[in-house]
Amino acid sequence: MKQSRTETATITETTEQTQTPAIEITDLCKSFGSFHAIDHLSLSVKRGEIFGLLGPNGSGKTTTINMVSGLSMPSSGTVRVMGYDIRHHARKVRQLLGAVPQETALYEELSAWANLDFHADLFGIPRKEKKERMTRILELVQLSERKNSRVSTFSGGMKRRLALGRALLHDPQLIYLDEPTLGVDVQARRAIWDYILSLHEQGKTVLITTNYLEEAQVLCDRLAIIDHGKLIAVDTPAHLKQIHGGSVIEIESEKPLAAVEEIRALEGVKDVLQDGAHLTISTQGTSNVVPQIINIVSREGELRNIAVREPNLDEVFLRLTGRALRD
Amino acid sequence: MFTFIGNLRVIWTCLKKDIRSALTERVFTIVSVFLPVNFLILMSLFVLAGSHAPTAVVMLDNGPYAHQFYHAMDNAHSFSLRTASANEADSLIAAGKIVAVVTIPADFDSRVSANQPVQVGVQINNLNTDFTNDIRRAIPLSITSFYAKAYPNLVTITPRETDWYAQDTDYVPYLAVSIIVVSLMVGGVLQAGISSAKEWENGTMKEMLLSPASRWAVLVGKMLAACALNVVAVVLVLFVVIGIVGVWPVHWGEMIWVTLLTMIIFVACGTLLGTLLKRWQAVAALTFGLSIPLFFLSGAFGPISFGTQATQVLAQIFPVYYAIVLQQHAFHGFDLNTYGVGGNALILGLYALGLLVLTTLVLRRSTVTH
Repeated sequence: MKQSRTETATITETTEQTQTPAIEITDLCKSFGSFHAIDHLSLSVKRGEIFGLLGPNGSGKTTTINMVSGLSMPSSGTVRVMGYDIRHHARKVRQLLGAVPQETALYEELSAWANLDFHADLFGIPRKEKKERMTRILELVQLSERKNSRVSTFSGGMKRRLALGRALLHDPQLIYLDEPTLGVDVQARRAIWDYILSLHEQGKTVLITTNYLEEAQVLCDRLAIIDHGKLIAVDTPAHLKQIHGGSVIEIESEKPLAAVEEIRALEGVKDVLQDGAHLTISTQGTSNVVPQIINIVSREGELRNIAVREPNLDEVFLRLTGRALRD
Repeated sequence: MFTFIGNLRVIWTCLKKDIRSALTERVFTIVSVFLPVNFLILMSLFVLAGSHAPTAVVMLDNGPYAHQFYHAMDNAHSFSLRTASANEADSLIAAGKIVAVVTIPADFDSRVSANQPVQVGVQINNLNTDFTNDIRRAIPLSITSFYAKAYPNLVTITPRETDWYAQDTDYVPYLAVSIIVVSLMVGGVLQAGISSAKEWENGTMKEMLLSPASRWAVLVGKMLAACALNVVAVVLVLFVVIGIVGVWPVHWGEMIWVTLLTMIIFVACGTLLGTLLKRWQAVAALTFGLSIPLFFLSGAFGPISFGTQATQVLAQIFPVYYAIVLQQHAFHGFDLNTYGVGGNALILGLYALGLLVLTTLVLRRSTVTH
């Protein structure tokens, strides 16, 4: 009977654990003096998803991540990682978290093996498992042949891969990657994306901050856009584009158009960008506005080309925050 | 989650990693080992160069009184004497190779015997008042010493010396012991400070802070590594002081634990500086900038109780002073203050503990603001 109760308790606990979000941020605030870096931020990251955190420099991404990883404590509000409150269980959270910082933070003067060995000891990986895990990780990131080489001799892509391998060594449930492909070539970027997607297949939760919207679109199940420490939007990339994007009409006319203001004044037109004879018109819905635009353009001359397309994430981001991601 | 054994493992891995890193950067390691020895050599040269004024004596009289006067000058502990002809002496002073020329006149003996006044010529190269004043003080002293020996009945006031310590201690052996402390300071602060600052510069500190390892275990591991690397420099300095300068400790055991305690304090101090400043160049600049003033302030040349009230108060703020007091006791048996060995050791111990706690707090604070 006693054993049965224990089993029931364990099952309930396990079910609760799997149901709790990987990250749950509630009404989070962080102030540095009078500056509010994070302003009542609330969001939730589900277990097993790849979640992207987007925002221009200084928007509060790093501050949020620092609080999620326990490097910084909130001024108010709560952060829970896998159900553990960061204020009270910071060490437990660090055990569950694997971090790949932007600067890779490897000991360049040491070998790849020595870097992993140091990390394994810091995270208390049992000695019996250590060697086997390190060997497996080096195979995973395809650095087995270079395990005894100094990290300073590695390329940028190799360093990223090693940093990723190091973050996975202690088998974390949540992996955080800060700008994972910053400064790496296209080929290495593809390889890193594949690693990240394979983590997703293994059921790991991945949190990414990136300035590459293409990367966010390829990798992320959901995106949160934050600016000035506030949550602007959170949804899947497709839904974000659908809700906040409207459509974009690209027009090529015979000569530069004079009636730009007339187009801008049309109902449903959000913005018009003119580059010589080329117009980029952002709209909210297209059904009525397209014929009107065609009429105006045709009045001044020949309409050479017209295309209606879905906006990309850059345009969604610009629309939501009023500035480009790299501002 | 992290048991005592777990923390020991973190300490060991940080120690191992730092030593491994230091050994790969050989130039830096060699510099940090030889720098304290360099300090010892520089300071000793400084003392040796300034302790005796090079002086030529032109002996125009070779009588017994003239020779007695020469010996009185030689015993004044202020001159580095050599005899020379008048022409040689002129050339030497013109070339800036000597500070003074003392000319003992040809009628020195006959005039002294006849109780007649004698003028001893003194030509001084007065470009440096320190040396000039040495000469101005030492010549009258030599004259008095000469008279006391030549005419014991005429000089009725004589000193009756009672020594506090059994043996006299020369300037260099006293200073060499103080230099050990400064070498420990420079070596310890540089080794630990640069190692810590580099962790911040390279972003590797973030990896440690993101691990579940205890902050204090990481710090202790790093400090032990700096101590281990610093031991090489310390052994080298002690070898020079004991083996070459010939200053043997009176209390060997005390010398060893004072050296270790001093090393721990300055390694903790370096770790604190590295954590605060986060740039190795800043740590190096501050170490060099502070070491010389602290050396002069903390009684390196003599007990601070011989100095002004202000310097005494200021010196007692810094651990360098207590380390010098203890090290002088270990080497020479001197009691340079009234706190006793236990009192001074307790103060140093509190410094070590305080610095360790402060460094942990700063690391926690850095964690918060990073």
